[in-house]
Amino acid sequence: MKVLLFGPELYFLGMALVLFILSLRRQVNIRIDHQVALGVAAGGVVVASACLFQQGELFFAAYRVDLFSQIFKVALALGLFLVLMISHNLAHIEDRYHAEFYLFLTTCTLGLMMLVSAVELLTIYVSLELSSYSLYILVPLRRGDDMDIEAGVKYLFIGAVSSCFMLFGLSYIFGATHSTYVNEVMAQMPALLQSPIGIMGLLLTLAGFFFKLSVFPFHFWAPDVYQGAANQVTTFIATVSKAAAVAVLLRLVALGDVYGFGFTQALWILSIVSMTLGNLVAIVQKDFKRMLAYSSIAHAGYVLMGILTLSEAGYTAAIYYAVAYLIMNFTCFMVISEVAGDGRNLQIVELAGLYHRNPLLGLALMLGLFALAGVPPSIGFTGKLLVFTSAMKEGYFWLVLVGAVNGTISLYYYLKVVYAAYFLEGKELPKITTGLSTRALSYALILIIIGFGVFPDRFIELARVAVKGVLL
Amino acid sequence: MVEHVADFPYLTCMLLAPVVGLTIILFLKEEWHFLIRVVSLSAAAIALGLSIYTFVNYDTALGGLQFVEKYEWVKSFGIYYYVGVDGINAPLLLLTGIVIFTGVLTMWELENRVKEYFAFMLALVTGVFGVFMSMDMFVFFLFYEIAVVPMYILILIWGSTRKIYAAMKLTLYLMAGSGLIIPGILLLYATSGINTFDMIQLHGVHFAPWVQKTAFVLLYFGFGVLAAVWPFHTWSPVGHVAAPTAVSMLHAGVLMKLGAYGILRVAMFLCPDGFQYWAQLMALLAAVGIVYGVFVGLAQTDLKYVIGYSSVSHMGIVGLGLATGTVDGINGSVFQMFAHGVMTALFFSAVGYIYDRTHTRMIYELGGFSKIMPVASGYFIIAALCGAGVPGFASFWAELLVFISAVKVFPVRGLIALASIVIGALFALRVVQKTFYNEPNPKFIHFKDVSPFLGLPRAILVATMVLFGIFPRLMLDLIKSAVVPFVNGL
Repeated sequence: MKVLLFGPELYFLGMALVLFILSLRRQVNIRIDHQVALGVAAGGVVVASACLFQQGELFFAAYRVDLFSQIFKVALALGLFLVLMISHNLAHIEDRYHAEFYLFLTTCTLGLMMLVSAVELLTIYVSLELSSYSLYILVPLRRGDDMDIEAGVKYLFIGAVSSCFMLFGLSYIFGATHSTYVNEVMAQMPALLQSPIGIMGLLLTLAGFFFKLSVFPFHFWAPDVYQGAANQVTTFIATVSKAAAVAVLLRLVALGDVYGFGFTQALWILSIVSMTLGNLVAIVQKDFKRMLAYSSIAHAGYVLMGILTLSEAGYTAAIYYAVAYLIMNFTCFMVISEVAGDGRNLQIVELAGLYHRNPLLGLALMLGLFALAGVPPSIGFTGKLLVFTSAMKEGYFWLVLVGAVNGTISLYYYLKVVYAAYFLEGKELPKITTGLSTRALSYALILIIIGFGVFPDRFIELARVAVKGVLL
Repeated sequence: MVEHVADFPYLTCMLLAPVVGLTIILFLKEEWHFLIRVVSLSAAAIALGLSIYTFVNYDTALGGLQFVEKYEWVKSFGIYYYVGVDGINAPLLLLTGIVIFTGVLTMWELENRVKEYFAFMLALVTGVFGVFMSMDMFVFFLFYEIAVVPMYILILIWGSTRKIYAAMKLTLYLMAGSGLIIPGILLLYATSGINTFDMIQLHGVHFAPWVQKTAFVLLYFGFGVLAAVWPFHTWSPVGHVAAPTAVSMLHAGVLMKLGAYGILRVAMFLCPDGFQYWAQLMALLAAVGIVYGVFVGLAQTDLKYVIGYSSVSHMGIVGLGLATGTVDGINGSVFQMFAHGVMTALFFSAVGYIYDRTHTRMIYELGGFSKIMPVASGYFIIAALCGAGVPGFASFWAELLVFISAVKVFPVRGLIALASIVIGALFALRVVQKTFYNEPNPKFIHFKDVSPFLGLPRAILVATMVLFGIFPRLMLDLIKSAVVPFVNGL
């Protein structure tokens, strides 16, 4: 069944068509828009899960379906579904654009899905652009102040520049190896050991994904875009698109294996600078989303730590961390979009008294933040420990030390939020009511954060089998 | 090390008792204060009962690890759920049981956000039990973190005196300590060549000297922060003053022992050569801590600060005993951990009761408090006597053992520390005199004394101190059964 190999992508293509037709209606009904999108997205999770164990190649071997790609596809489908779950109240997006909003989220997810399966450089590039263009539209979709325009322009420009870097790098790689297939390029890499062209090309190519992952020095867009885009769009950018970027990085970084020290040294520096910079700047933030933007820069550094080990354990840890990050970060964003029901940007002090305004959201927020800070028993803690362990095994003692110290720094600003939610009284602030779906979602997230933190074994084994195909 | 697998999961039950209590509390209504307290007390009582059971039924003739349970947890990284009891952690588990049980009783009068309070407190205790019983380095660290983090919220919400500052300072200090521990344990894990976090197996690996030196110093300072090793102690008096009574009890009584226990169980056990290399520094810092704690404590006017600084000096005694690396020294250290835990719990419990009534802890304001509340004051005075190392209480034997071996191994440091303890004892008696035997403050004349029920937790603590003060061998034989093989392995 070749169709099944392409199943999730076809399904999401169909979903995009459905939403496209919805967006053509003259009479807008936002409830129906949302319900259709949510229902179809739920089906997407099922389809992606059903195709989890597919194996094969498509399109002249430019497209590889393996456990690695399928795990990420499930994560992406799940991510989209979760984002749609919290999109029941799109206060800051005009009613007539709701269908488009869902449409572009879907096409972006489709692009990301193709990205994680692509093993040919041009396919990778085209998939990346499909997802990026969708986001270029989504970011300025927000109504109201001009902040969204600034964010949109910034995102577009920095995105375009990093695309340029990437194309430039791809041209180097192609020029030196005469191939655009990742596995052929990988075979040719040892021959390029003497000339810097290979390593330059590779680093420039990685730039495109460093942009997505907001690794230093491609992080400048993150704070403004996080703050300027609608809460749900930010959620999508902060969770789903990051997970996909990690997947492609894992595939591409393996190309640098032969360069050994020089190559990993470069990533080593990026990792350290990213986490230190992100954590230090996050301390002074007052806007919750902006703070999370800087924290995402720091977390990109942690993921990079697992990636740069170029080992099976490191890759496994990076996948675990990426998925864990998706979940814990989403938990925080869910609270944001519930507390800021009118779609405004949430200041940290506005969380005051959350523990009595809505105890469940308070608990979810606290667990999400503790997970981000790497406090046990949570997926964040396990993820961080796995990443550190794999880095230490490859002898990166200082990297681990810096990472561990960074964990402490980050705890400070996460605790400031916990402080606001649990200590400030906020008596004059209104109670927050949540629907049944949000309550169920909160319970599920709490369970996942603790459950997978305490019993990570099954998932780790799955990830370990998956990375076997990537590291040759 | 010989292992004796448990016929019944005693340790798991001990660990799960607070977890189950916590889960039940989460489903109770906020207003059902009495029920919440009863559930917490039952959970604590079960844990206490099991800790007494393991303490009494540990067979010193057999030795080794007993009540062992071992299950694979994360296979690919070699992580095991591996718990067991030996002579070193049996007293500490007992201590935890006693302190949590009396701690719940002490907070019986709490009215503000009762549900959350007991939930967090039980979470903290789960972590403490987990650390003391784990023989797997990863799980050890996991529980260590669980024990440390709820403190932030406990102090922040139910604390007093500069609580926001204190809570943040304490948490950041302790997490910075964790930041050193992680690289330390991972360095040992990565260089061992065997894919396991099992400490007993790692003990068999002979690590390269540089690994031992590096890992030891990381672990020593990392755990040392929690053990209030000078100069990383500054969070401790501030934190203890700010924390609510039972949290101070737990924190000074039990949590600080986690640090010392970590140094003993992880750092010294796995890096014997590293220990030899750094022992001089350990002894120096411990001696400075003892002298510093005593003298700074004397200048305080707030009773809780007095106790806070005395804890720094008493934990210095633990550190000094460990640094000797002798059987007597480590014996004394472990016994001191237990004795100091019970003693500080009594101290804080007594002060907490007085503070809840009078809303002051200032020595000069309390004046002749023993004339108003003789029983409540009595508990404090007994604690002060224990702190001064009066014979007949457990801490006497512990300090005696530590100082005998410390003077042998480090004569100068040992003698200076010993001298400062003697001076400290004199001054401690002056604190007692000023607080309890001056003219009574007329403002407080109308207060009633402690009722027998509310006095119960303090009475339990006093009884424990006296029991092990009169029959120290009940404890020492047990500790010795583990310390002798431990020292032979150094």
